Amino acid sequence: MSRIPFVEERNGESIVRVPLTRGLGLTPVQAVLVLVGIVLLFGLPFFSGLVGLSWERLFRGILFGIAAVGLNLLLRHTELVSFGHAAFFGSGAYGVAVLAAHYDVSEGLLLLLGAVLIGTLVAIIIGYFVAGYVDIYFALLTLAFNQVMFATVFRSGFFNYNDGLQVRIGGDRPSLFGLEWTTLGYNLVLYYTTIVLLLVMLLGMWKLINSPFGRALDAIGQDRTRARFIGIPVERYVWISFTISGLYGAFAGGVYALLRLHVQPEPTLYVFVSGEILFMAILGGFTTLVGPLIGGIVLVYLLEAARFWVTYYHALTGLVLLAIVFFMPKGIVGSLPSIGAALAHRRHDPGLVREDIRGIAAAMRRAVDRAITTVRIIVFGVN
Amino acid sequence: MIESFVTHTLNGLYYGFILFMIAAGLTIIFGVLGILNLAHGELYALGAFLVFSVVGFATGLVASPTGTVSAIVFGIVVLAASLAAAAILLPVGAVVESVFVRPIYERDEVYQLLLTYALLLIFIDVMKFGWGQTPVDPGVYGTLNRIPTTELVGFGYPSYNVIVMLVGLAVFGWLVWFFDRSKTGRIVRATAINRDMATAIGVSTDRTFTLVFAMGAFFAGFGGAMVSIGPGTAFLEMGLDPLVLSFVIIVIGGLGSLKGAFVGALIVGVISRWAIWLYPPVELAAPFAVMLIILLFKPEGLYGTWGEIE
Repeated sequence: MSRIPFVEERNGESIVRVPLTRGLGLTPVQAVLVLVGIVLLFGLPFFSGLVGLSWERLFRGILFGIAAVGLNLLLRHTELVSFGHAAFFGSGAYGVAVLAAHYDVSEGLLLLLGAVLIGTLVAIIIGYFVAGYVDIYFALLTLAFNQVMFATVFRSGFFNYNDGLQVRIGGDRPSLFGLEWTTLGYNLVLYYTTIVLLLVMLLGMWKLINSPFGRALDAIGQDRTRARFIGIPVERYVWISFTISGLYGAFAGGVYALLRLHVQPEPTLYVFVSGEILFMAILGGFTTLVGPLIGGIVLVYLLEAARFWVTYYHALTGLVLLAIVFFMPKGIVGSLPSIGAALAHRRHDPGLVREDIRGIAAAMRRAVDRAITTVRIIVFGVN
Repeated sequence: MIESFVTHTLNGLYYGFILFMIAAGLTIIFGVLGILNLAHGELYALGAFLVFSVVGFATGLVASPTGTVSAIVFGIVVLAASLAAAAILLPVGAVVESVFVRPIYERDEVYQLLLTYALLLIFIDVMKFGWGQTPVDPGVYGTLNRIPTTELVGFGYPSYNVIVMLVGLAVFGWLVWFFDRSKTGRIVRATAINRDMATAIGVSTDRTFTLVFAMGAFFAGFGGAMVSIGPGTAFLEMGLDPLVLSFVIIVIGGLGSLKGAFVGALIVGVISRWAIWLYPPVELAAPFAVMLIILLFKPEGLYGTWGEIE
């Protein structure tokens, strides 16, 4: 086929693609971005201090981002809005905590494995019930399951009520790879294990959404009836994707518990955590694979750290989300290509900037006009 | 046993009426506009904070009650002040609808959720700016209870709860009258059923939607006012739990159904108070369990809907 490495012939054009796995490749720009991303992820514990960011907080953001990547499988492909993904994040976290606190499992990786199994089991059970529902009913059903779990944990002595469980066995943190670590060493080993697994999971998700199964999910998202006509077992496929999506959430929750060493119901299981996971996916860009990850980092940072910068940190986060809704509906990562193209145009032709300013002024004038009309309609009943 | 059964059922009904006032707004907004308003709980909280300021001002105008008659006058003043406080939410709701919500009717529902969540966060800080971090309490609960009600039939029960139940019943009655009998209400229903047709016969859908959102905000705020004049306080996070319970209620009753919201609210209120009485650990989970059963076996809810939702 192609003689020069990395060059493919498609529709008479030669496209440079970096093959990653069979049949899948990246454009050179994407390949460079992926490399930069991987370097950033691996260097994060060392870089973050230099620019004044807290590495542990970024780590937590990455974890919620992983859950959002899982949720995005449902949101992007089957077009189902899950409002209950904290159920899996929480079962992962509580899986670790219960195994450590009640069964004295002291190996971190074993705890993580148990957490993923428990969370996946929960996803299988919930998915069985919700797979046949769409739209608002799907969202509300997942929300209800999530809240039942939250309320049960919150009021049950086995999970130690509101105070939550410690992930410590006789006062010690779990071992990783069979070894005891210092605080910093433990966090670093946990971080790098997570990053390696994260890369594997992202690759797996990428393979999955480009496989025939992923295409079938797209078909289900676009029109369930037609998907059924062409022989796709809709409910079963939704159930499977729901389970996979729950697996990502459970993994993230398990690592979260290992990092925090203390699991409480409100930061892991509450319904607003579900909402946050959903909004991370949109904030980062739910039309992309890595967008939810970026969204997770940004939103967790905003929600946790903004309180140290401004008094009204809720409003700051709210304004960022408003900006996303009105100006960047594709999210941060999803908007990058169009922003890049627009900037390139401007550099090419500086006269466009003046037109932009004129456009903004016109838009503001229109908004004021509309507001005046609205007020007139409300006050006088006629325009 | 009988005594405590009656007390807990009454408590449940009281709680249910409060929840109804919140859920009624949520359900008419969802039924007509097709938007699940996550900021609705914050409108409720805003009402609770506003009533603190308005009632504080209004009760300063009347003397502290000494006898039954002056206690009733005091109660009327408090109720009027609550109405005034909730009325402030009418323009708030109108502005929120016309500025923020109107541009996104045609967008994906995830954006509607994201937008109302953003509004929720902003509202929290608006209240933090206005009233500070510490909970506030108008402190009229004790005085309201000096109005004699149940004592007249030889049964001890706080008069405040009785007043709230009567107010909730009045709200329900007014809403039913509004949507069934009044011309504006029928226009709203027509818009909910068919937007294009309503526009074709000369209804301004923009105006209808603004009205509905403002009404929803008003009743949420009124519910908040009713809580705030009771033993509870107004605090920043108070909107979250009632919001989630309102979802439960409108699902049980049927999305967009007013009667459904009423019955659902009473069911949720009574069940959660019975749970507190009989087996406290299930109190939080019980409403959601009911919601699950309804969704799995009768997803359209007890009453279905009176408007087709796009």
